[in-house]
Amino acid sequence: MINRINQLPTLRVDPANKVIFDYKGKDYVGVEGDTVATALYHNGVRIFGRSLKYHRPRGLYSLDGECSNTCMEIDGIPNVRTENTLVKQGMRVKEQNVKGSAENDMMGFIDKLDWMMPAGFYYKTMHKPASIWPIAMKQIRKAAGLGVLSPDFEMPGKFDQIFPSADVVVIGGGPAGMNAALAAADKGLRVIIMESRPWLGGFFDYRTFDYKDAQYKNSKPLYSRARELASKVESHANIRVFKHTSVVGTYTNNLVTGFQIGTENDKFNERYIEIRAKSVVVAAGCIERPLLFENNERPGVMQVACVHRLARTYGLLAGEKAIFSVGHDLGLEAAVDLFDLGMKILCVADVREDGQNPYLMIELAKRNIPYLKGWVASKAHGSKRVNKVTMTTLDGTISRDFECDLVIASAGLTPINGHLTLAHAKLRYDSHTNFFVADTMPEKTHAAGRMLGLEDSLSIEVSGKLAGLNAALDCKLMPQSYGNTEIDALKSEIDSFTAQSKELPGPARGSKFVTAPVKGRKSFICFDEDTTIKNIKQAIDMGFDVPELIKRFTSAGTGPGQGGIPGHNLPLYVAKYTAASSKCFSSSGSSSIQSLGATPKPTNVRPPLVPTLIATYAGSKHIMMKRTPMDEMQRADGGVFRKIGVWERARYFSDDFSCRKEIENVRNNVGMLDGSTLGKFRIHGPDALKVLQRVYVSDMSKVKTGRVKYSAMCNDDGCVIDDGVVVKLAENDYYFTTSTARAGATIEWLRYHTRFDGWDFYVVNLTDSMGVINLSGPNARKVLQKVVSQDNGASGEDASNKASIQDVSNEAFPFSGYKEFMIKNTIPVKAMRLGFVGELSYELHVPSSYMVSLWNIVKEAGKEFNIQNFGVEAQNVLRMEKCHIILGQESEQRTNLLDLGLGFLWDRSKKDAKTIGAVALRQAENDPTRFRLVGFEMENNGRAARDGALIVDDKVRGYVCTARDSFSLNKAVGMALVESHLAKVGTRIQIFEDECGGERIYGTVVPMPFYDPDGKRMKS
Amino acid sequence: MVEIKRYSPVAFKASPKRTEVRDNWTVVLEYDGEGQAAFGQSNVNENYLVDLSHITRLDVQSSNLDAITPFGITIPQGLCESYLQDGVLINRMNRIQASVFCLSGKRPEMPTESSYTETTEVGMCMAIIGKDVFSITEKLTSLDFMDYAKTTPFLYQAPMSHIPCQIITLSRDGAKSGIIFTASRGYGKDMVHAIMDAGAEFGLKPAGEDKVKSWLNTL
Repeated sequence: MINRINQLPTLRVDPANKVIFDYKGKDYVGVEGDTVATALYHNGVRIFGRSLKYHRPRGLYSLDGECSNTCMEIDGIPNVRTENTLVKQGMRVKEQNVKGSAENDMMGFIDKLDWMMPAGFYYKTMHKPASIWPIAMKQIRKAAGLGVLSPDFEMPGKFDQIFPSADVVVIGGGPAGMNAALAAADKGLRVIIMESRPWLGGFFDYRTFDYKDAQYKNSKPLYSRARELASKVESHANIRVFKHTSVVGTYTNNLVTGFQIGTENDKFNERYIEIRAKSVVVAAGCIERPLLFENNERPGVMQVACVHRLARTYGLLAGEKAIFSVGHDLGLEAAVDLFDLGMKILCVADVREDGQNPYLMIELAKRNIPYLKGWVASKAHGSKRVNKVTMTTLDGTISRDFECDLVIASAGLTPINGHLTLAHAKLRYDSHTNFFVADTMPEKTHAAGRMLGLEDSLSIEVSGKLAGLNAALDCKLMPQSYGNTEIDALKSEIDSFTAQSKELPGPARGSKFVTAPVKGRKSFICFDEDTTIKNIKQAIDMGFDVPELIKRFTSAGTGPGQGGIPGHNLPLYVAKYTAASSKCFSSSGSSSIQSLGATPKPTNVRPPLVPTLIATYAGSKHIMMKRTPMDEMQRADGGVFRKIGVWERARYFSDDFSCRKEIENVRNNVGMLDGSTLGKFRIHGPDALKVLQRVYVSDMSKVKTGRVKYSAMCNDDGCVIDDGVVVKLAENDYYFTTSTARAGATIEWLRYHTRFDGWDFYVVNLTDSMGVINLSGPNARKVLQKVVSQDNGASGEDASNKASIQDVSNEAFPFSGYKEFMIKNTIPVKAMRLGFVGELSYELHVPSSYMVSLWNIVKEAGKEFNIQNFGVEAQNVLRMEKCHIILGQESEQRTNLLDLGLGFLWDRSKKDAKTIGAVALRQAENDPTRFRLVGFEMENNGRAARDGALIVDDKVRGYVCTARDSFSLNKAVGMALVESHLAKVGTRIQIFEDECGGERIYGTVVPMPFYDPDGKRMKS
Repeated sequence: MVEIKRYSPVAFKASPKRTEVRDNWTVVLEYDGEGQAAFGQSNVNENYLVDLSHITRLDVQSSNLDAITPFGITIPQGLCESYLQDGVLINRMNRIQASVFCLSGKRPEMPTESSYTETTEVGMCMAIIGKDVFSITEKLTSLDFMDYAKTTPFLYQAPMSHIPCQIITLSRDGAKSGIIFTASRGYGKDMVHAIMDAGAEFGLKPAGEDKVKSWLNTL
């Protein structure tokens, strides 16, 4: 365990509050504010895990989770980024991807076999013969990979989602972001600021130099300035602060998504955040560009900010004897500061020939820290952690070894511009900053701060203010706009700050150095995927010359770090190597890339910019399904429910999924089905009939009062999209039903197909408004007679409009009849005499709130007949025996009215152009190539074929729509869509089922319908 | 003998304290534990979910909507504008259509013109009221209820908890904030579950119709 520096004003931990957690079965002690990684480091853990492919030891590197080095298993969840995860009491932490331990991994020998695994080796080896690959793949998967998750693992914790509204979203809570937020909020706009760390402050937060000129002074240090800004932001009424919140995506029209990690006081562990703003400010800052040298990921090699923040934020000195090999002034500043905190700095090597801040060089000299200009680390030594480093001149001519336990390495800076590219900004390489910068910004998106190349604190702050004001202008210029005076004042303020920014230092010259003068066999450009410089060279030598393709071929940048480590170096190196190869230059050194004639091209960035748990995206996991009014009662009656479209429906009423008893009860007695999911509509207005004529294939002027008309709707191709019944309520006032699946689209369908007519009609969706009881079976009339014979003396307003009925005989209420009546003076019913299941049937449409009461009345009336529920599957079999179709089951997108044998519905006397689908139907009428719906029965009393099974000979000739073992017919029957030459009665059909092993089953085409072909049962 | 009752699509896990049977609906006036005080008195920090599915609602459609005055009230002209008067809330949905909510809870004398369709049964109807209403709704929908370009009351026709809704914002004035919304009746159970879950951290609890009435009186 190393001692913690407890008295620093920059600390973000509370050393007084201990946190006990479990690491590999032993108790470890951290402090409040520690991440898991810093707590482990405090306890002496240096190797956090092993790498994906070579099982190399890996440790702290960025402290921001930019790579998988420190991914571990926490509380059973693998691949948790421990650098970003706060340690909590009782946490259980384990290393992952090791055989043995991270310290002594039995798979570590693979590191020496790298010569066997050149770039893309798995694309080229183990494929011949092909049978080897499945075996090899299993072994590779065993050896590689990161964490392991049990398939039955249940994610603990509470996951939530939030969709807050804002005018301006600011990405990044550093100095630029905070200034942007304040500038926009001061204009009265609602601002949200999202910061990935648990506090605001960005790269000011841990620095002690003066904020105005970056020198040691007795004035305001940078961290104080950060806290001052943070205090203003957090107390501003118009600013909402989301801390510990990473942005995962930015999209067009200012949509920003992210996730927030909850604190102990929050009601969630993580929550998904989605914001649609009017304007976006991106002030995400920079990360460090890794320095490429041999063993550049060995534990003990860290980035500048990692070591600096470890000391200043967490009070931990990362090592005792350090070597710096850097390419920017933040490295020099860190060396001075860490020296003052007690770290021994053996030397500072700087790859830059010039451009250093002279003040920092003086401070280094004051402390007698050797400064090597034009030198670089070329190799880290030590098998598991650094114990020595070789430093060389940039041309590799002079080398010198230093014994040390810490190598602080950073080639330069790189902007976090994934937010811009996701929002479709076009990036170009800027040779001055050595950054990829946005050439054209997405609409209403503004960048600010360090990502523009700014290093001067005041410049950064002013750039933030400017971005905030420009975002405010975006909002004020929107349609619900403000007065011209206010906009003019805002523009004037923007001009003023623009002028001010020009007086301040602009973007700084960036280091272009990429790699030390080494061969690169162990110089890792991507830590996550164990991709080396040598691999990149191999890919280029094989002909890959575009970074995007090299990325795929070598896997560089495709790991959990989402390209954080290789994102910038890969295109720089590819540009340099390809140019150098063609011009016979050395690939090392710091010569300008563009001077070699190559322009680096960035690789694509994709969401999530920061990886997180799938559980976070799932959120609170509410299943939103529709339930009928009978839902609860049918469950109580033993209903087995299934999700069918947007509804939950009772599919079975026993464990016997053949539904034999339900079916036989309907055929022989009487049953009740909840048909409430049917689509139901009222259409009225002067042109209502014209609309019905347009969308239905039948002549709807023939709908008679007191009668039900069955018809179908087709699309322009003549394909059936819906069927249902229509009844006439009054002149130009109709009630019609649709299939359950089409209910949601019906109004749009009607409006779309009358959009040029200017007709005066109105449609109301009553689907949920009316419950439906389907009363079916030979005893249905007796039950209904009992129901209507109860006290039916009309009374009340509703009753006065409807006659009560006493007679439901076949003469008084015939097949296809329609009646409205009251039950018990109270419940208004629309009743239809139909026969979908092939028996005497009534559909009782009733206001949904009365559905339970009517159901109970019917049930009580049916008690003497032993009335029973039947579910959707029983209905499916019953109607299949009668060869009544269900759209979507006996049809698919290409099935037209004629294919289904429903041509009798089509009234050809209607004008074609006026009936949707009629023109196409006329053309299809004599087309012999179309499928036909046929009925078939299985040969030799065989079982029913599976739904969807193929009808074949030497080709596919059709498919089975529905087939079941029919208890009514004592044989297996079904319907199939087949090519017309197979449609003749008596034709033998071959049926091919999934996993049948080539063994086909056979059926014979038979006449339809199978059951009660004359329809006597449903019509009598 | 079956008792004829009307059932709401919405049910809360709470015990009714006072109820009233109205047009066969059993309307809960107050739940156990919701507090006696009328809205806006001792409960300024509380948030309530109220079932209003029993209130009469109408759909009005006409190509000449301006000529129609439901219960003597003029339909707002602007798209998605709402108007509340004498317990009647009218919402302009589009050029030819408006919805009418009779918030008094009593069944009104129904208009006889064919342009009206009663839609009480079509959907569930609920109110969320209290100071944290919009903290709760932002967990359910991305709609911007605080949009400064809109004046209360106003209508949104958009999804909440992924379900198409009509949502009327009646107030966004601190503790008096509140919305009334409708959605397809079938979603009642799951919608209550989603809203109560979203509101748990804000102490959202079921309340009876009286709470809404006293809240409406404060607007």
